[in-house]
Amino acid sequence: MAEVPAADTAKTGAPERAEEAGQAEQANQTKQATKRTLKDYRSEVKPTWCPGCGDFGVLAALQRALAERNLDPRDVVIVSGIGCSGRLPEFVNAYGLHVVHGRALPAAQGVKAANPDLTVIAVGGDGDGFAIGGGHVPHAVRRNQDITYIVMDNQVYGLTKGQPSPSTPTGMQALRRSVSMPKMAPYEGVLEGQLNILAMVIVYGCSFVARTFSSQATEMAKTIGLGLDHPGFAFVHAMSPCPTFYNTYDPWKESFLPLPEDWDTGDRIKAIDKAMEEVGEGVFHSGVFFQEQYRTYTDKLQDVYAKAYGDEQATIDALMDQYA
Amino acid sequence: MDRLDLTIRIAGENGEGVLTVGDVLAEALARSGLHIYTFKNLPAEIKGGASMTQVRVQDTPVRSPGDALDILMVWNQENYDIHVGEVKSTGVVIFDPDECEADESLELTQIGVPLQKITKTVIKTMKSKNVLAFGVLTTCLGIPFESAKQMVAESRWGRRKEFLESNINALKQAYIYVDDNDIDLGLRVPVNQRNGHAQLIMTGNDALCMGALAAGCRYYAGYPITPASDVMETLAKAMPRVGGVLMQTEDEIAAITASIGASFTGAKVMTATAGPGLSLMVEALGLATMEEIPLVVVDVMRGGPSTGMPTKTEQSDLNLAIHGAHGEAPRIVIAATNTEDCFYTAVKAFNLAEKYQTPVILLSDQHLSQRAQVMSRPDLSQVEVVERKQPDGNGSVSPQEFDRYEMTEDYISPMPLPGRHGQHYVATGLEHDEHAHIDYSPEAHIRMTEKRHQKIESAVNEPGFVQRYGAEDAQLGLIGWGSSEGPILEALDRTLAKGYKVAALIFKMLHPLPEKEARAFIESIPVVSVVELNASGQFANYLQGRLAVSLQRFNIITGLPFKAGDIEEYIEGVLQYG
Repeated sequence: MAEVPAADTAKTGAPERAEEAGQAEQANQTKQATKRTLKDYRSEVKPTWCPGCGDFGVLAALQRALAERNLDPRDVVIVSGIGCSGRLPEFVNAYGLHVVHGRALPAAQGVKAANPDLTVIAVGGDGDGFAIGGGHVPHAVRRNQDITYIVMDNQVYGLTKGQPSPSTPTGMQALRRSVSMPKMAPYEGVLEGQLNILAMVIVYGCSFVARTFSSQATEMAKTIGLGLDHPGFAFVHAMSPCPTFYNTYDPWKESFLPLPEDWDTGDRIKAIDKAMEEVGEGVFHSGVFFQEQYRTYTDKLQDVYAKAYGDEQATIDALMDQYA
Repeated sequence: MDRLDLTIRIAGENGEGVLTVGDVLAEALARSGLHIYTFKNLPAEIKGGASMTQVRVQDTPVRSPGDALDILMVWNQENYDIHVGEVKSTGVVIFDPDECEADESLELTQIGVPLQKITKTVIKTMKSKNVLAFGVLTTCLGIPFESAKQMVAESRWGRRKEFLESNINALKQAYIYVDDNDIDLGLRVPVNQRNGHAQLIMTGNDALCMGALAAGCRYYAGYPITPASDVMETLAKAMPRVGGVLMQTEDEIAAITASIGASFTGAKVMTATAGPGLSLMVEALGLATMEEIPLVVVDVMRGGPSTGMPTKTEQSDLNLAIHGAHGEAPRIVIAATNTEDCFYTAVKAFNLAEKYQTPVILLSDQHLSQRAQVMSRPDLSQVEVVERKQPDGNGSVSPQEFDRYEMTEDYISPMPLPGRHGQHYVATGLEHDEHAHIDYSPEAHIRMTEKRHQKIESAVNEPGFVQRYGAEDAQLGLIGWGSSEGPILEALDRTLAKGYKVAALIFKMLHPLPEKEARAFIESIPVVSVVELNASGQFANYLQGRLAVSLQRFNIITGLPFKAGDIEEYIEGVLQYG
């Protein structure tokens, strides 16, 4: 029976920690002893968001979730695309990879595939994730790598000053609340339909789908934490208002409801129904809509290795024998 | 005795099996100690359309696909009409008399062999028609039946024992027919010498994959596209055996950004594509330049623009490879010249990417990537592998103190890796300072622009990327790049032998440009012409712009590779008539 390779061989050549053996032990002890707090995940860069931005809440909730898990910042990579929310990695004391618009998910998947030991978090907005980057979401779900994807949904393009996004409500509704959107949709309002982001992700087959609201700090930290703990692709729909271009604080405070206490997180069809019904009812539910554990990409890769190695990894010379 | 040099073409309806005949013949001849060079020309569709495969066989390494044909075998009228004009006056046409009518007015040896009828009435298995065709060719080449039998047994036709008997029977029928009809071309191709373990039969794409793995590539992301898909398919088999990851992504944008993500963690990464995919990757190429992330992007060029000619060859992505970017995003662009060179150039691509922390575009093309050639097995103990510069292991520098983009003497800064180094930072596509903090100040932009440009400039001093050949006192100089090397050098040898004073300069590094070598060559020769497979003379324009010189051009845009004969005629034309 083939030995399943140790985790390090699966890391595509990613090197081991730099410490010498003795130092590593010492570092490990220090690691055990260190109890990190939210402050340990604050970087020296001050957030550039507008006062009152919902993203402050998301940032604090993420930092708290990281602190609760006492993760070493060197083992955490936060990947983002473009938009206000794309700036988040800069404000966290951890590794960050800030890529081009809409491509946070592919970049995060590359990070995780190359080194499965890292905690990988992708963040971005509704435009980044569901307009320009929308084609990547179903495939990230299909691969089911252990990545937490936090979408900060403010239903507007904030960084470009207030154009409607894929999650902006159709018609005149949003325009009444926005000083900026009438520029883009002066007559009949937003002509395009509103994407039901949550329902889409559930239908794609995502193994963890939750929603949370930036004004509910404790609950948001808890939900993000559940996403981090979930072994697989976790989608966190973080509603995060933009007070500057589309201020939804007041209506959202009223329309946010917790999922029923006896909610069955194992029923995908019910979860879809709930996500669809909400739209007509004008409410948002917070909590975990659906969760089920499937084998991750890394799990499956281990099987592939076990089968392909035989007794040991092939040398490049052996691979060339097929051409002799 | 004359040197062995035969060019054999087999043509028929796409999907009928002509390509298999060519593949098996090429492999069998190569295993017999001979050198081969294949050339296929087929439609982009899976079934239907005229399709042909060609094998040039020599007893020394073959450098180009061959000019006129020594043997043409056609299975139907359409292919007879297409190809008969390319047969040498001393050549032979083998045709199926029930499927096509030979043009009796041609002064050629034309031999009718009823392939279809023999298959139907004698062999009675239509699948064996290609074995019959193979047998007709091997008898005509003077290969003894026993040797041909062994060739069939060792080929894909021998893999399944239940079919072997009927395949050997088909082969036998070929020998019987040829013998009964007293067909003898007077050829005796020597096939006694068995090729050892030291020779490999590979396509350019195969060799490129093995080079990438030898250099340490353990992550590949890609999206299917002709003619680069073989790279992904070869690595799909190989990666699991060496503990690597192969990810088929949803598009080329995901392929390149996933590769960037993997490289961020320290893995050696590659993606391969063709022109349409490279177009989609342009934005992320700029990102890799900006974040100084090592990355190898292979572009197997095909006929463009747009969907263009997916199964044809062209050297027309040079502009895109060198200049394709918004803003100024310098990267290293190199090109491979032949199958063996695909292996070593792939190794160099990784070494350059890791050393200079930059994207490297490796240009191949359809013809180079898919033809088979014989190459010496690389000695892996002699392959130099470069690792990227990383921070010292002691971890004493805090992230607050650490400068990811430190201005060093060679502009290359140590790169910390997640999970390994405590100097975490945020790589960003926004302009930044040494500390990786966003900075739009004029000073930061000037410093970092200089860093990105200067960093790769010294790559021109890397050895082995530009080579001069031919006469010292040349009257005509040819400049070529990438896969046109073989036909240029063959034409050079032929014309030098005829007494012409001609030289060649072959570039494998295109950006940064080895300016010193280019200028010395151009200034020392009265007439210099750039030979390339594109319409506008992309390399010629680039050289003219950089060096402020005037150059002649020789361009072909048939979608087919250069023949040595094309270039030979051009050299003679220029030197005889100016």
